[in-house]
Amino acid sequence: MWILVLTLTLLFLGAVYFDRHSGWFDKQVYSPYANAVMLDSYQPKSGASAAAAQGKRVYEQICGVCHGVDGLGKPGQAPPLAGSDWVIAKGHNRLAHIPLAGINGPITVGGKSWNLGMAAMGAALSDADLAAVLTYIRSSWGNKAGEVTADDIKAVRASMSRPQPMSLDQLMALPE
Amino acid sequence: MTVNETQTDKIDASCRVPLLVLFGGAALWLVVGSLLALAASLTFHMPDKFGDCPWGTYGHLQPAADDALLYGFCIPAGLGVALWIFARLGQVPLRGALVPVIAAHLWHVGVLVGLVGIFVGDSTGFQWLEFPRGGSALLFFAYLLIGLWALMNFSGRREVGMFPSHWFLVAALFLFPWIYSTANILIVGWPVRGVVQAVIAWWFGNNLVFVWTSLVGLGTAFYFLPKFSGRPLQTYFYALFAFWTLLFFGSMRGVPAGAPVPAWLPTLSSLNSLMLVVPVIAIAIIGWKTVVGAAGQECKGGSFCMVKFGYVAFILSALLLIAQSCPVIGRLTQFTWFGTAQTQLQLYGFFAITMFGAIYHILPRAVGIEFAFPKLIRVQHWLAMLGVFILVASLAVGGVEQGMKLNNPAVAFADSTKAMLMFLRVSTTGLLFILLANLLFALNIFVMILAWKWSLVKSVFAFVISPLNKTEVKA
Amino acid sequence: MKNGFVIFLAAFAMMFTSWSAFVLGPQLQLGREKQVPVLNSTEVYPRSRPGEANQGLQIYRVNGCAACHTEQVQQDGVACDLVLTSVGKNEAAVRNAFEDGVKQNNWPLTPSQDLQVKGSPEILLHNVSKEIAEAASDKITAAGGKVEIHIVAVGPDIARGWGLRHSVAEDFLYDNVVQLGSLRIGPDLADVGARLADANWQLLHLYAPKSVVKDSLMPPFRYLFETRKIGDAPSPDALNLPSGFTPPAGCEVVPTPEAKKLVAYLLSLHADVPLYDAPFTPVVVAKP
Repeated sequence: MWILVLTLTLLFLGAVYFDRHSGWFDKQVYSPYANAVMLDSYQPKSGASAAAAQGKRVYEQICGVCHGVDGLGKPGQAPPLAGSDWVIAKGHNRLAHIPLAGINGPITVGGKSWNLGMAAMGAALSDADLAAVLTYIRSSWGNKAGEVTADDIKAVRASMSRPQPMSLDQLMALPE
Repeated sequence: MTVNETQTDKIDASCRVPLLVLFGGAALWLVVGSLLALAASLTFHMPDKFGDCPWGTYGHLQPAADDALLYGFCIPAGLGVALWIFARLGQVPLRGALVPVIAAHLWHVGVLVGLVGIFVGDSTGFQWLEFPRGGSALLFFAYLLIGLWALMNFSGRREVGMFPSHWFLVAALFLFPWIYSTANILIVGWPVRGVVQAVIAWWFGNNLVFVWTSLVGLGTAFYFLPKFSGRPLQTYFYALFAFWTLLFFGSMRGVPAGAPVPAWLPTLSSLNSLMLVVPVIAIAIIGWKTVVGAAGQECKGGSFCMVKFGYVAFILSALLLIAQSCPVIGRLTQFTWFGTAQTQLQLYGFFAITMFGAIYHILPRAVGIEFAFPKLIRVQHWLAMLGVFILVASLAVGGVEQGMKLNNPAVAFADSTKAMLMFLRVSTTGLLFILLANLLFALNIFVMILAWKWSLVKSVFAFVISPLNKTEVKA
Repeated sequence: MKNGFVIFLAAFAMMFTSWSAFVLGPQLQLGREKQVPVLNSTEVYPRSRPGEANQGLQIYRVNGCAACHTEQVQQDGVACDLVLTSVGKNEAAVRNAFEDGVKQNNWPLTPSQDLQVKGSPEILLHNVSKEIAEAASDKITAAGGKVEIHIVAVGPDIARGWGLRHSVAEDFLYDNVVQLGSLRIGPDLADVGARLADANWQLLHLYAPKSVVKDSLMPPFRYLFETRKIGDAPSPDALNLPSGFTPPAGCEVVPTPEAKKLVAYLLSLHADVPLYDAPFTPVVVAKP
């Protein structure tokens, strides 16, 4: 009967529609993507912008609690990072040691002395994430210093034998 | 009186008390639901007046109104009509009517517990499933009892052949316990993780609001339309085809397009919704061929009119449902009042009005008393039709307008809500008409219940004061 | 069909198919989801909500907020932006390559754009297809410039700022009640914690929506707040209401714990992290 023919035709068209739009039951294919191949082709490559956003996110979750989301520090908790010589130094070696090893004893930031100690907050981060955070703080709030790459962090980590919280003298003894 | 007529009277009388309890409670919840819906609608016109008490917020009122309509009116009315149709078609009176009576009372208590639960703050948060556990357990248990009794009556039938109404009603009887238990266990009882809850909730909502009501409403229509038109259902093949395709495609849908689930779910859902075109065509053909040109009853605002109107409303509601699943229209109407309009058309315009027609036919025969206000039946019918038309048209058009504004990022969100206000005002008027219609319906039902109770009292009284027979007096 | 049993069996089969497709299937596929990695990072997503926010979700559920608000962002498509990060040594060559591409290959420009390459970083091409972006990238890299292709989500929800990408199953992993919503009488809330991060604004909006959103249809949730006489000193929690909504003289409006929990939940709603199944290139807004 004609209605059966109509049903079968619609079923066929439906199957074509399903083929085009369903992603064939793939768990990761959601509506604007037609299939897994298309989804894969639209994955963003990690460029500078991605790293900057990643750095901002990690900063706000881990560092910003004490150093402030605005980088101005909090008295009694952490010194400011905006305009800090430690942050905008040409080399990144001393800066990278701070989150990887921590600080013990007084340290001068912006003319003021801070003696609060710092745990090795960056020791648990991956090379990429720590590099992203350091790049972020070096390019935010008026700071204009160069980026830090994941390889740089890897090299610094490799050079640290047994990370202990560093004192001001030990930090100044490092090459910049 | 012929033997057949006394048999029919016996069958009708056997259903008397269960139907009175089911339909009486249903009428009460219908009125309660309309009042709640009207209050919910008013919160948009005077938002500031409703802020002091949790019960006055839209988030409490609207779910309660929806559930009162669906669980309070639609399901008990459907169960009652199914009981009666099984008894009549099978030519076997309903035995052991005490159990369905108790079950019907349990059902109404369950609805009360559920509605109070929503207001007290125990709502589960999922649409159509808001009743807290206590209420749903009562509902499930009560449905099982009534369904079991209907099935026992069906299996004990004298008339061995099966009518199309049988298929639809039997399928519906099985459907509800399955979907209700699954949804309550997997969402409320031992919740599944994450977005699967939403998928099951959509599946449940579709199967209850669309599939169950369509099955019961069409089963009822396929009983009454041939009866009123005076000729058999045209044709058996189309009815069979409509049954299978409606059940299959109708139950395999429900997930909205663009939902936060992998793409195969909304795609599967959309394509099955589009396939629904096929049963809708078949059902339209059945209706046309059975009713048009038949030398049956005149349409005088009575049961025949109501069942016909409900039938047309079903076709329209299904078409709106299919439209919502088309890629272009769906993108426009999702998250708007259009979906509400389609649901109201399905629940009230189709199902409730079909039930009105059935109940107006069944109840006088079951109870043996005529309605006290027969002229009000026609008035109620016109009010209900008018109310549904105003409500659905205003929400549907308003929904499209809202969708166009939502999809245009240049339009501020506040403008899309402002544009809706006029349509909401019109829809409130529609709700008012519906409330009036429901009040008239409830009036007829309640007066009949009172009349029946009074006749019971009179018969007991007559028995008590009747003169004793000589043989009964001991010397 | 004369046999009731046949009907029962066939109807059972159909309902079983429906149950398998929409209950069993999703549960097998999504029911044992775990955290997923964030794109280009070692983080995982989502983080579980703090306890107050979880309790706030229950308050959201109980008050029927899902009746008016959705929590799902939709995306109509995906496109690419071509961003110039460095002009390299030969700025003129890069500029020529760009003009060439626009004229000969019909690279689409936004209405307000001209052909000048102003300096990096700069979005050269906005919302173009992948093929055009890749061809443009090749051409400009050949001329000595450095470009990046950014993936951007496209859709009215995205354009309104309601989210940066469409919602996915992982967004709701730790919701013990998933409140997706189905009507947008109020705006979408999937990313409201990022968009309206101010707890005070949220509290004001709950108490008197019209005070912060003109012509709002939302009912004022005054029962979530307590209007009481000011004690020895004004409470630090007291709301700072604009004129027209202030309580009677000598009184202050203080949020109840429920209000605070609800606001904690709202502030925890974030959908701004790129994932494999919802990729986009996050962009840092330059700080002054």
